Amino acid sequence: MGTSRDIAVIGWAQTPMVRHTELTETQLLMQVITDALTPIGLTRADVDFTCLGSCDYITGQAFSFVSNLDAIGAWPPKRDSHVEMDGAWALYEAWLRLHEGDIDIAVVTGSGRSSTGDPSLIYPMEMDPFFLAPLGADPVTFAALQARAVIAAGIADERSMAEVAVRSRGTGDVDTLLGGDYVRQPLRRHDLPPITDGAAAMVLATGERARQLVARPAYITGFDHRTECHNPSFRALDDSPSTRIAAAAAGLGDAPIEVAELQAAFTHEELLLRHVLGLGQEVIVNASGGALRENPIMATGLIRIGRAADHVFGGGRRALAHATSGPCLQQNLICIVEDGEGQR
Amino acid sequence: MIPCAVVGVGQTHHKSRRRDVSVGGLVREAVFRALDDAEMTMADIDAVVIGKAPDLFEGVMKPELYLSDALGAVGKPMFRVHTAGSVGGTTAIVAASHVQAGKHRRVLAVAYQKQSEGNAQFALGSGKGASLGAGGAFAPFIRAYIHRSGAPEHIGWKVAVKDRLNALKNPYAHLKIEDISIDKVKASPMMWDPIRFLESCPSSDGACAVVVTDEEGGRTAAAAGRQPAWILATSSRSEPPSFPGRDPVRPAACLQCADDVYRQAGITDPRRQLDMAELYVPFSWHEAIWLEAHRIAEPGEGWRMIDRGETELGGAFPINCSGGVLSSNPIGASGLLRFAEAANQVRGAAGEHQVDGCRTALAMAYGANSQYFSMWVVADRLHPFD
Amino acid sequence: MTRFVESTITFPYRRSLGPMLSAFMTALTERRILGIRCGEAVLVPPMEWDPATGAALPLDLVEVGPAGTVQSWTWVPAPTEQHPVQRPFAFAFVLLDGATTPLLHAVDAGSAAAMADGMRVAPRWRGERVGRITDIACFVPGEQPELDGDDTGPAAQPVEIMDYNARITYRNPVPPSADRAVELSRQQRLVGMRCPQCERTYVGGRGYCPIDSIELGEEHEIDLAHTGTITNFVIITPVQYPGQTETEPFARVFVLIDDSDVVLAYQPTIELPVADVRVGRRVAAVWASPGEEIDAGGGMGVSLGALIGWMPTGEPDIADPDLVNRIF
Repeated sequence: MGTSRDIAVIGWAQTPMVRHTELTETQLLMQVITDALTPIGLTRADVDFTCLGSCDYITGQAFSFVSNLDAIGAWPPKRDSHVEMDGAWALYEAWLRLHEGDIDIAVVTGSGRSSTGDPSLIYPMEMDPFFLAPLGADPVTFAALQARAVIAAGIADERSMAEVAVRSRGTGDVDTLLGGDYVRQPLRRHDLPPITDGAAAMVLATGERARQLVARPAYITGFDHRTECHNPSFRALDDSPSTRIAAAAAGLGDAPIEVAELQAAFTHEELLLRHVLGLGQEVIVNASGGALRENPIMATGLIRIGRAADHVFGGGRRALAHATSGPCLQQNLICIVEDGEGQR
Repeated sequence: MIPCAVVGVGQTHHKSRRRDVSVGGLVREAVFRALDDAEMTMADIDAVVIGKAPDLFEGVMKPELYLSDALGAVGKPMFRVHTAGSVGGTTAIVAASHVQAGKHRRVLAVAYQKQSEGNAQFALGSGKGASLGAGGAFAPFIRAYIHRSGAPEHIGWKVAVKDRLNALKNPYAHLKIEDISIDKVKASPMMWDPIRFLESCPSSDGACAVVVTDEEGGRTAAAAGRQPAWILATSSRSEPPSFPGRDPVRPAACLQCADDVYRQAGITDPRRQLDMAELYVPFSWHEAIWLEAHRIAEPGEGWRMIDRGETELGGAFPINCSGGVLSSNPIGASGLLRFAEAANQVRGAAGEHQVDGCRTALAMAYGANSQYFSMWVVADRLHPFD
Repeated sequence: MTRFVESTITFPYRRSLGPMLSAFMTALTERRILGIRCGEAVLVPPMEWDPATGAALPLDLVEVGPAGTVQSWTWVPAPTEQHPVQRPFAFAFVLLDGATTPLLHAVDAGSAAAMADGMRVAPRWRGERVGRITDIACFVPGEQPELDGDDTGPAAQPVEIMDYNARITYRNPVPPSADRAVELSRQQRLVGMRCPQCERTYVGGRGYCPIDSIELGEEHEIDLAHTGTITNFVIITPVQYPGQTETEPFARVFVLIDDSDVVLAYQPTIELPVADVRVGRRVAAVWASPGEEIDAGGGMGVSLGALIGWMPTGEPDIADPDLVNRIF
């Protein structure tokens, strides 16, 4: 990798994950940043760089992220950035920034209140503005078309998808679920993510500082993201080449992983991603329940990395986290975290 | 930190409505100019960073998705930043960070806005009436500056004329007001008292792109006779929107950001060591405000530099030789245009608006209620002050 | 109990098409569908660039269809208002005859049972076509194109612009802090919250101190005066845009509240002609009458509720040269 410095996740927090929050995004961030820093013994004044991830269209307000500066402790002013992407990409920017070598501690966040609008009306606006948005082409439709391709390729079937739903949510019975109506054939209600409001914050530190602050930093040993062409008309939907490239670049094959947290908002996406990443039965996937249990848009990906870091904090050796954006898994990010053993 | 350089710069012709191109066509116009300038193709690029101001302006949410293939990013990292009006500058900084971190070697930074597709004023008010517009938001800052500096009102008119004269030398500039004059500015309608119409930026469609490479890429370009712009320093600072005592006329975030880039670049006397600056001046008075908040002038002295003609092309400290935001304002790209123009100045590639002997230049962009600041210092060599 | 404020935002956009999309959209008005050559492939929908590499494609358009074959589909039992068919329909990838990539569009087949991979479909054209993908109202089973309504014929001029109107309703919760500020304002109370650490005061139910990053609650509330001094202002000459409600120049003033550090920014004025707005002018709060519509919060979280503006008190001006610097 040519990594000049060790960079590690040293802590993270998430707000309660709810169907509706009554708090503003700024208030959510105010709480969650404090919750991420306090257990490590840090305050906002210790943070050298912040990078926030959020989306104006989810909020329904241009420049909605500006008021979130209230939450980061930007007085005195702070080195800071914002991505109109999931917090997982905010983490990527912070990771790059720490590699520059002059600063040591960064906080990244992802936040969104998707309960305020109807995703089926908002999300067509991220589609091709000439051919797809005017049709109201919605994310569930694209997911269904991808699910059909994944099923046709023998990577999934409706039963295995229902099994993913049951395992992720810890409730329900496969046969009962398969008796439900289709929302978009072959997807039923259980194949879809919930609508969740919430935010997450993560603390990164460079090697020496990380080791001073926590017993088991989760070192980021591989980090890469790739995109594909936009319109699903031009893609093979039974594959995820961008995930494959990102995983190879992140060094997935260098050593076994124990757990994987995949941002699979639809059941078939988990099965496709497992297939593309070549994850065997020995790998524990989405023990957290993943995006099928809690799906705070713009934070869901970052939370995957937090869950992977939790595995290392708790004594694990190596874990993979995945985040995604766009229709039919257009853009994919892979982050590998490890304990210090393979590191030095 | 790994040294890096700008080896390609491109921009579109900026207009109030580029109805001749689609949004993809617009960004690609800038991208191919930058790639041609760098003697590269899309295949040579490792990663793409895209920046623009609110998605609500054009109604394409998260356009890094729609534009991925338009930008040749398939199979590559594609990154989207948004830091309000400073976003174009942040796009350049994040692209540089991709290289400085040692993770990528040739990064394409692209920023754009196609303001004509929607209505910015409308979007700023989220479709509600009585939107103040940017001028309404900034006019009180200007009133405070005028009051505290004692500047006469013709200072604003002078900057408005100077930047439009510079724009006449820039083939890409939006506003081309051949008969621009103090009288004409003075006679233009009062839009947001104390800001007159001709003291305001236009609303433009446009895009800008730059190619950032590592040291080897910079040296290769130089060896082939293509002068790179070495990036000596980048920095960003943000501060909260409002709290009792906040000063948006001399924002702490601006001062700290400037101090940070100067320190990294080895600049102790910016007035002497910099040869020019591209500052984000959407309303004419911001030139005086920013001269002071970048310590190019002492407090209360910025307007005097303007009055003496020092910030004109050919003056002792030229500002916005390209015509600046006052002449072309595709919002999301306006910051990257500042960074790109500064790079072109030290590359000796600024054409008719080239500052003679320019070797070191500052670029800045700012956003929201004077809260987000991004800056870089570029030079024609890596260690100009050794 | 959380209170919600609903707002429907209508976003009107006018998209310029450029040469390739213009040719495609204009052809739609002529009831023709165009693809573009990309090497051996014929891309539908046509692209300006090779979707794999980004390379520019020459403007080599070929007519495809009008009929085609369904490659894949999914049934939409409950259409949204944005969908092209307002009864249950299928979204399908339709491979038009002569194309090598499929077009996503609606198929109006009556029921999911009538859908199958490999089925043949043809466009149902709108009678009135404007140069938009929805000029194809949908596809229908069979080989024969249909026409929906009276044919108004092809566009007289090449189509260069596409209108796009998105309407999204947001239902925003009013955070408890802002809700309380609105409620107190109904009682004509202007209440600030004073940070116990830095002692700065915040109004409108902001609910936290951005300097010390701590939450503020009822225990931090203080009643503020209803009088103040204009520190700064702007006179705005309104420009027209969709939704603009103002036609005459109007003022927004900054008011430093008496006996506090609070400046209320961008405040409306009442019974104060714009010519009489000046720094130092003394003003008093004006409250909405009961039942009058007020800003109920739910935007970005801060609301002054029933405080609708400021009018002159008639007191002598304050002559303080630093007033103008109090913008925040």
